[in-house]
Amino acid sequence: MKTRGLILWLAVGIPLLWGVFRTLQNAMKLF
Amino acid sequence: MASSFLSRESTIAPPGYNRFLVPPAALAVHLSIGQVYAFSTFNLPLTKVLGITHSVPGDWNLKEIGWIFSIAIAILGVAAAVFGRWVERAGPRKSMFVAALCFGSGFIVSALGIHYHWLWLVYLGYGVLGGCGLGIGYISPVSTLIKWFPDRPGMATGMAIMGFGGGALIAAPLSVILMNHFKTAASNGVLETFVTMGVIYFMFTMIGVYSVRVPAADWKPEGWTPPLKPPPLVTQSLVAVEVAWRTPQFWLLWVVLCMNVTAGIGVLSQASPMIQEIFTGRVTPEMAAGFVGLLSLFNMVGRFFWASTSDYIGRRNTYFVFFALGILLYSTVPSIGYAGSIPLFVAAFVIILSMYGGGFATIPAYLRDVFGTLHVGAIHGRLLTAWSVAGVLGPVLVNYIRQYQIDQGVPKAQAYSVTMYIMCGLLLIGFICNFCMRPVREQYHYRAPGEGGLRSA
Repeated sequence: MKTRGLILWLAVGIPLLWGVFRTLQNAMKLF
Repeated sequence: MASSFLSRESTIAPPGYNRFLVPPAALAVHLSIGQVYAFSTFNLPLTKVLGITHSVPGDWNLKEIGWIFSIAIAILGVAAAVFGRWVERAGPRKSMFVAALCFGSGFIVSALGIHYHWLWLVYLGYGVLGGCGLGIGYISPVSTLIKWFPDRPGMATGMAIMGFGGGALIAAPLSVILMNHFKTAASNGVLETFVTMGVIYFMFTMIGVYSVRVPAADWKPEGWTPPLKPPPLVTQSLVAVEVAWRTPQFWLLWVVLCMNVTAGIGVLSQASPMIQEIFTGRVTPEMAAGFVGLLSLFNMVGRFFWASTSDYIGRRNTYFVFFALGILLYSTVPSIGYAGSIPLFVAAFVIILSMYGGGFATIPAYLRDVFGTLHVGAIHGRLLTAWSVAGVLGPVLVNYIRQYQIDQGVPKAQAYSVTMYIMCGLLLIGFICNFCMRPVREQYHYRAPGEGGLRSA
């Protein structure tokens, strides 16, 4: 159950973190 | 066999199932359909389908392309309202699967429209078919999460609806990367990107289809008991959807959501030109793009933050904060603009956009408090028509008032001031409606057959 949970959270978390990182990179241009 | 896999019965979790395995399923759906917020990345490429590097006669124009997004958002609200009851009956797995099919095939049908250069097929594909996927996908995990987290419904729905905000953060750079990858001398890459995204989003949503589970009817979190004396406005009774939408409470909440969304979506749609015009010569288009990105980020973070906070301070108080703080911030924005402070301007708008997202994420838990869990997904679906109205009202207000001001000779830098004060007025209406919220009268409560009273479930 723990492994399954880890895989599921990674599957949604990695793309989300990638998106957040790219957005922050872009947002830095404002300052 | 497929129908048994998709049925509600086959998704009932076994005893001891870890409820924290359910939010990723909801996130998989919302991160996919949240792509709609980044649709504008396709606007310019779609004007160059024939000319490839530049628009040529016969290519679509921006005004025609703008309708794709508008149709999709309008159909989202309609589909959520029309299919809400079916989503409740069919269960989350079947409805997520249908959402995946609609949203994925919407991209594929639109790709065909691009191939043949038939705009009506793109409207039909992404707008209508994709819009149905958006509406069904948006509400499909909501009531499931509320049932898994009766102790923290705000946090649970906030987590899922945060995904809808986060979807744009993924889709915007992903679309650009894919279009650059597929670009050739014969194509600007938008057709191939549509096909690829259709497949990617279908498969990603399938993570949710595969992993979603509903709790058994008698399931409760370990060690949790429903409070004996629930807080004001939190009901332990149930209201059926056919009855709920005839109560004043439904329409008060409809206006609350509509006003909150109108105030945020107008700014979001005009954020880039607005900051460039208010701070003329000081903000470049690249900096403005950074501002838009920051707003999207806070739109996403606000969904989780405010919905989770509402579990502690109550839904009604959370909306009071949105409206009171929103009025304060909107009314000070013109002064901040005159003072020329970019950091203060950015700070004001990221807070406003966090509350815009927070409004979306807190409303399912508010509905659950007022109407109970019986048909919360279907009631939420009907309430989302407020979003469709706000999606038109917000941008129209900002655009038309700005243009009217400029036509009257007001400098561009000051053309947004009146809009900000009108937003304050809208938020005041929302504040009053939220203030008028009272528990649903007993006559509307659902009673099982044989108990008498209203029971159109």
